[in-house]
Amino acid sequence: MSEVLLHAQKVSIQFGGLKALCDFDLEIKSGDLKGLIGPNGAGKTTAFNVLTGVYRPTSGTVQVAGEVVNGRLPHQINRLGLARTFQNIRLFKSLSALDNVKVACLAESHPLFRASGIEALRKSGQSFMANGLDALNNYYDWWRALLLTPGFLREEVNIEDRALELLSVMGLRHRAEEEAGSLPYGEQRRLEIARALGTRPKVLLLDEPAAGMNTKEKAELMVLIRELRDRFSLGILVIEHDMKLVMGICEQITVLDHGETIAYGTPEAVKKNPKVVEAYLGEAAKTDRPIGATP
Amino acid sequence: MSKDALKGPLPVILALPVLALLQVTLQDHDFLIYLTSLVGVNVILAVSLNIVNGMTGQFSIGHAGFMAVGAYSGGKLSLEMKDYALSFLPHVVSDQISFMLAILVGGAAAALCGFIVGLPSLRLKGDYLAIVTLGFGEIIRVIVQNTEAFGRALGLSGIPQSSSLAMILFWVFLTLLVAKRIADSSHGRSLWAIREDEIAAEAMGVNTTGYKVRAFVISAFFAGVAGVLFAHFVPIINPGSFTFVKSMEVVVMIVAGGLGSTTGSVVAAVFLTLLPEGLRSAFSRLDDPSLAQKVDQIRMPIYGLLLVAIMLLRPQGIFGTHEIWDRWKKKPKGAT
Repeated sequence: MSEVLLHAQKVSIQFGGLKALCDFDLEIKSGDLKGLIGPNGAGKTTAFNVLTGVYRPTSGTVQVAGEVVNGRLPHQINRLGLARTFQNIRLFKSLSALDNVKVACLAESHPLFRASGIEALRKSGQSFMANGLDALNNYYDWWRALLLTPGFLREEVNIEDRALELLSVMGLRHRAEEEAGSLPYGEQRRLEIARALGTRPKVLLLDEPAAGMNTKEKAELMVLIRELRDRFSLGILVIEHDMKLVMGICEQITVLDHGETIAYGTPEAVKKNPKVVEAYLGEAAKTDRPIGATP
Repeated sequence: MSKDALKGPLPVILALPVLALLQVTLQDHDFLIYLTSLVGVNVILAVSLNIVNGMTGQFSIGHAGFMAVGAYSGGKLSLEMKDYALSFLPHVVSDQISFMLAILVGGAAAALCGFIVGLPSLRLKGDYLAIVTLGFGEIIRVIVQNTEAFGRALGLSGIPQSSSLAMILFWVFLTLLVAKRIADSSHGRSLWAIREDEIAAEAMGVNTTGYKVRAFVISAFFAGVAGVLFAHFVPIINPGSFTFVKSMEVVVMIVAGGLGSTTGSVVAAVFLTLLPEGLRSAFSRLDDPSLAQKVDQIRMPIYGLLLVAIMLLRPQGIFGTHEIWDRWKKKPKGAT
């Protein structure tokens, strides 16, 4: 049994009087491919934002790779191995596709003090010391960049190689030099995934990766997501409106409505769940149309 | 590869003899040296402000404040050290060493201010940050204006004129080198990422607050250096040299050159510094010499018109976010 990489327990978040998310539970292990669905405004993206640290949960805990991350900043949570894409594409538009991925491929070797040691300090409660060492590492890193030390140059080459490789994986190698903002919509979505992969995630959260894609691109994306999971042994959580895609690739599905989890299970079970049919499809359910069929 | 040949501190070492040669050959051209010094200081200011406003996309309009911190702390130090010299060295060398010390102290003082201002205010965005930096610039000016040690409104006079062409060009060179190397590194990419989309940058593991503060500190350091250099070739520094107008002048330079483009900042800084001089010599050829004396008064309207023209014709600035060499670098644009 593999380790739970992303674990949300009874996570709730409240904006004023509005309960956007209520007792949300989630468990993602390496190799998992799970889906999160629900009607508009059900709290799917809010769930993502809580998991990645954009919002702090009102109650409950989120654990990434065994660490409780409540109250940590998004970039710290990202470093623990949680990467995401955005519903409304948030690429670095005027940078080239290659630079977009390179930004995410942060240098991994902290040469002055080892990251594991700093993490150990932080765990033992000496966060002040840990922050100090972190800062020293950072200053050292700046000076390496300003003095162009051989180690730094090697690292830059590594980053470039890795970024190019990720672009190839996502089928964007030929777009490397182009401005990210000028790519076609489907490619921008794929570039966002490539960028997220640059941070070496253990768990990848995809927020509507197929939005705006045509049928052919969606079919390719389904294959690609599975490939990514196997190749990088990722745990993947997908928010998606396209039922065919969710039902086609996800092994487990969580259904949200008004911030509450109303169903959880395999696609078949979820599809048959009367609560889901009512909440998600509403009137359409009465006409006995199977989920995923286009009207 | 040629890239490897420019590794490490080598460019600085190579530049030194060139600068020394320049210093020796141009020694007697006083006006040229003065002009180059002025251009140099403005180039340093523009390039350093560009690190914050252009690369990181924050809007700081208090650069003259950092310059003032550098100018006054460095200038004061030089005044105090005026009578001391390293006896075992020739006079010129000893002078330059204490000048260098003043530069480093002034830069460090400005960097410290950058850190102090940056820490709380860089959690602010856009207009709010602009107001804080504007306030900082004014606070510095007012403090200086009311401190006896800094000569109140009269300013500091008698600072040794130890500035040399070589020293100024050396710091211009160093500023450009640092800007270029930041742009070529993962740090530069992180700064761009913040400019493009802060939320996405944060989600990709970029410590956005940390990077913004660091950009601010580096930028402030070089502004301080520019201030010290300035203090050592003008006969007198007073609070009037570091007003909001000076900050705006630098902002105009980087906006005209293209926010985010180091070479654009340089070109604009050189052009906008030489413009009043050019006008002066153009007007002095006219029949009415009084016009030449009014150049300083008509400089601001001309700046304004120029800015309006640039915004209408090329809103992204002369070079946009690109560098001058991007144009002749191969680019498979529009590949199928």
